[in-house]
Amino acid sequence: MSDLTFLMGKFEARIPTDRVYSDNHLWLQADDEPNCYRVGFTAYSVRLLQDVYFLEWSIDPHSAVHKKQEIGEIESSKAVSTLYAPVDGTILDFNERLLDDPSAINTDGYGKGFLFRMQTEVTFLTPEEYVAHLAAGWDKTEKLIKGQYN
Amino acid sequence: MPKLTVVISQAQGKNPAKQQLEAELVAALSSDANVEVSLVPNLYDLAADHSATQFLRSIPGDVIVLSWLFPRAARWILDRQNVRGHEGVSLLESKSDDEESDDESPARKNGNGRHGPDDAKKNGNGNGNGHGTEPDLRPVPNRKIYCLDLRDHSDAKVYLGEIRRIASEASLSLVDLFSFLKTQPQPERLEKYLRPLDLLAEQKSATSLDDDDDVPANGEVVRRRWYPVIDYSRCTNCMECIDFCLFGVYGLDPLGSILVEQQDSCKKGCPACSRVCPANAIVFPGHKTPAIAGADGEVGDVKIDLSKLFGAPSAVELAARERDVELVRDGRDIVGLSIGIPKRLKDKPKKPRDELDDLIDSLDALEL
Repeated sequence: MSDLTFLMGKFEARIPTDRVYSDNHLWLQADDEPNCYRVGFTAYSVRLLQDVYFLEWSIDPHSAVHKKQEIGEIESSKAVSTLYAPVDGTILDFNERLLDDPSAINTDGYGKGFLFRMQTEVTFLTPEEYVAHLAAGWDKTEKLIKGQYN
Repeated sequence: MPKLTVVISQAQGKNPAKQQLEAELVAALSSDANVEVSLVPNLYDLAADHSATQFLRSIPGDVIVLSWLFPRAARWILDRQNVRGHEGVSLLESKSDDEESDDESPARKNGNGRHGPDDAKKNGNGNGNGHGTEPDLRPVPNRKIYCLDLRDHSDAKVYLGEIRRIASEASLSLVDLFSFLKTQPQPERLEKYLRPLDLLAEQKSATSLDDDDDVPANGEVVRRRWYPVIDYSRCTNCMECIDFCLFGVYGLDPLGSILVEQQDSCKKGCPACSRVCPANAIVFPGHKTPAIAGADGEVGDVKIDLSKLFGAPSAVELAARERDVELVRDGRDIVGLSIGIPKRLKDKPKKPRDELDDLIDSLDALEL
């Protein structure tokens, strides 16, 4: 099945259909082990962040986390943000490659730019649901994005 | 001879760059005939009965306080220690420069807000700054306190320039500081703060094994502390903090005004009450978030904060969670959002909602 897209102004955020999504704009792709996912930023997130300069995790690998728990910090050319666990579960390990050079988040956000691996039993949004989720919030974010990113 | 007192509040820890800036300032000001320079431990860590606190209270005239704290934090720490005066306005560029407009903000209700002792002679001078930053009815001595943030610049010359500017503009008190001290109970204990070069030398030779404590040569230990500081120019006496904190930090003075009564009952690292304060009047000077540490107004960072988009809990959720962590540490049961928060949740939001509020709500409304 071909990718979905979500239009952010003129920018087409690509939403691949081979994975699921969290409401805080992360994608999750099933890993080899059961209930295990690779987790990364969606194209929507990356578009808002733009070039990522710095990524730091504040928890250790194999930490149990709850939804909205603070797990790290990110800084990009345009934004800063604390990062939060998408759901209850266990963060297994982090993508080591990004710690030296986070640029893969921008160049290959759906692949080598994944953030961490996570184990959880929670059910996520389907690609269609995620696009609907983006559409529902878009009117409200549009001003924000235009104000900041033109 | 008129003297302006310059107080340098030392950094916590042993950061060499910070210590060097302090030493440069002390050296340069010690030879300046127009100012009296003194060196005290970190203001925030000073106990009420520490000799440095007594020294600060004994300074009669205008003071410039240089500290590694946001000026708003420094000012209200001093206020809590009964070191009061009108706010002196520094012309130094600060990293968070928004104070003028901020001081006009509506947070300041008063009327029955704040009471002073009966013998309080209200200062008739009609506060020079016109911003009404002083709490009503408390005695405000007719002098100015300038608070400068040592984190704003790395060059001592910048501070020296500003100190000399203030010295030249100030209507300086004619009281000689040494003669004033001699009327105090323990002049010799306090006078040492006016010999900062000696203090620095003593501190250099004193080897402290415990990095966390700064042990001055006279054995008066200064431990790192953690407690809330109330900015009474913003406080509306709404009692949210006393309802929220379950550790007995807050109390009321005899006339019903909120007060940080048991500073050391506060839980180290926990800024939860600051998050629930609707007026942003509670400062934790050591917190990593500038808005909680006493930065004035908006923090001057041009970058947008996307934390809410990436799932940040609301301030109230976060506060409840932080409080629960401390309750568990004390072996008590967690209370979540059930205690001390209802007022804000019941009230309809008073401010117009911004886009982000709506966005977050629309996100939350989606079923997972």
